[in-house]
Amino acid sequence: MSDRSGFSAQTLAVLAALCAQQSQWCHGYALARQTGLKSGTLYPILIRLADRGLVEACWQDEPQPGRPRRHLYRLTADGLAVAAAALAGAAEPAAKPGTRAARPTSGAVAQAVQQ
Amino acid sequence: MSGLGRAGAAALRGATRLVPADRRDWVEAVWAEAAEAPPGLRRLAWRAGGVRLIAREAVVVRRIGGTLLFAVAAVAAGRAAWPGSPATVFTPAARVNVITTVLLLAGLPLLARWFLGPPDTRPARWLRLGCYATLLALLPVVNAVEQFSYTPPRGSAELRVYLLVADPSHRSPGGAGIVVLVVIGLYLAAILWMTSPRSGIAPATLVAGASAGIAFGLVMYTVAPLGLSQDATNPWLPGSDVDPLMVLAWLMLFSCPVVASVIADRRYTAASGSPVPAGDRIRQTVTAALLTSMTGALFAGGAGFATTLAMVREAWLRDWLYHGQHLLYGVQNLSADLRTLPAIAYSHEITGSVDTGVFFAMLIIFPVMTAALNVWVALSVASGDTAAGHGDQRPGGGGPPGPEPAPDLPDGGRSAVTDDYAGLAAGVPGPREPGPREPGQRTEQDQLVGIPR
Repeated sequence: MSDRSGFSAQTLAVLAALCAQQSQWCHGYALARQTGLKSGTLYPILIRLADRGLVEACWQDEPQPGRPRRHLYRLTADGLAVAAAALAGAAEPAAKPGTRAARPTSGAVAQAVQQ
Repeated sequence: MSGLGRAGAAALRGATRLVPADRRDWVEAVWAEAAEAPPGLRRLAWRAGGVRLIAREAVVVRRIGGTLLFAVAAVAAGRAAWPGSPATVFTPAARVNVITTVLLLAGLPLLARWFLGPPDTRPARWLRLGCYATLLALLPVVNAVEQFSYTPPRGSAELRVYLLVADPSHRSPGGAGIVVLVVIGLYLAAILWMTSPRSGIAPATLVAGASAGIAFGLVMYTVAPLGLSQDATNPWLPGSDVDPLMVLAWLMLFSCPVVASVIADRRYTAASGSPVPAGDRIRQTVTAALLTSMTGALFAGGAGFATTLAMVREAWLRDWLYHGQHLLYGVQNLSADLRTLPAIAYSHEITGSVDTGVFFAMLIIFPVMTAALNVWVALSVASGDTAAGHGDQRPGGGGPPGPEPAPDLPDGGRSAVTDDYAGLAAGVPGPREPGPREPGQRTEQDQLVGIPR
C-alpha cells in the first residue's frame, strides 16, 4: 500500500527509523532490525533514497577490531524534510474522523505516526 | 568458518564485481553487515539478500541471461521451423526465412543498442520481449502452414481440390518468403525504435498502445480465426458481414488507435506538468496508434496462423471449426462422385492455409491505415482543437492539480500496492521536487515522460 506521498510502507518504515535517529549515523543491520525488513528489501530502498539525495552514506572510519568496516546511513537535510512530510501524510488518514485508518504494515511506521 | 563457507563467501565477494562500480559499495555493505547477523539461517538469509541485490543491480548478469534465453529460444524456433521432408517448392524459401529471421532478431537489437541505446523502462523491456517471443513463435507456425499449402496431396479428389484452391503455378513461394521477412524486419525495427531511449517514447504511451492493440487483436481474431475469407465460417458466427462482432471489429480497427492516442497524449501531458512541444505530443500519439495496430495485427495474425496449423493437424478442431454444413470452393467444383468426406476435410484445411495470406495483408495494411488516420488525430491533438487534445490539464478536468499519477517506474521499481516486501523493495516514487540537476542529467520524471537526453 502506498500513501499519498507515493512512498511504500516499507520505505516509510525506513524513513521513520532514520528519522528516529535524526542526525546520527545508522548501519544496515540496525535498520533491518528496527523495520523488520530483510536485507534484499532494505538495501534497494536505501539505494534509491540515496539516489534521490534523501540519504547519505559513508564507510565507518574506525572499524571495530576483528570486524569489517560498516556502511553507515543518515538522512540529509532534504531527506529529513521529505521524511517528516511523508510520515505526517501517512498519519493523516488515521487522524481524520470517519475514515478508516490505513493498516500499518510496519511497527516502525506505526510508531512514527503515533509520535 | 568452514572451508566451504569461506569458498562461498569468496565467491560472493567475487560476484560483487558483476555490479557496476558505483553500486559495489552497497553490495559490500551487505557482506559487511552479515557479520552482525546471528550465525545460521539468519546470516544465510542476510547473505541471500545480498545475492538478490547483485542480481538486481548486475546489468552484466541480466544481459548474459537475456542472451542465453534468446539463444535457446532461437535454436528451438529454428529447429521447429526448419523444413523437413518431403521437400516442396517452398522449402528453400522456408530455409532462407529461418536463417534470415534469426539473424535479424540477433543483429538488429545489437545495432539498436549501439545507435539508440538499450531499453531503459520496464514497459519497453516487456514490449521487446513480447515482440521477440511472438516473432520467434510465428516463424515455425508460418513455415509449417506454408509448407502444407505447397504440398500436393496424394488422393485424386484431394489433388483436384488442391489444384483448384492452391494451384502452386499461380503462387510464388519466393514472394511469400520475402513478405514474411519484410513483415518481420519492419515490425522488429519499429518495435526496437519505439522502445529505445532515443525515441523519447514515454512508457505510458507504450502501455496504452500495446493494451489497446491486444484488445483489438483479440476481437479481430475472434471474428476471423481463419482469415477474413467468407468461405470459412467461424463456429461462433453466422458468417455474415453485418454480424455484431464483425461490426465491432471494424469499429475497433479505427477507434482503438484513436483511443490509445488520446490516452497516451493525456498521460504524456499530465506527467510533464508543463506545456510540451507539439512535436513531442504528435510523436507520442502517432506511436501509440501505430503500436495499437501493429500489436493487434500481430496478435490476430499469430493466433490465426496457430489456429490454422492446429486445424490442419487436429481433425477434431477442423470438425469443430467447420460444422460440415457447407462445401468449400474446391469441393463445389468436383463431380458428385468425388465429393468424398476426405476431400471435404482437405478442402477445409487447404482453404484455411491459403487464406492465411490475409494475415500478412493485415500485418501490413492495418498499420498503414492507422498511420494515415492518425495524421488527422495528431494534427488535432497538436492544435488542441479537438476533444482528443486536453492541453496541459490533468485528467479529470479543472480544479487544482491532484497528485501525480503513478506510472511504472523505469527501473523496475514498484509503487507499493501489496504487502509483499520483495515486491515493495524498489518502490520509492518519492517526492516530485527533483532538486538541483546536473547538466545533461535525466531525472526519473524525464524518463517517464520520455524527455530525451
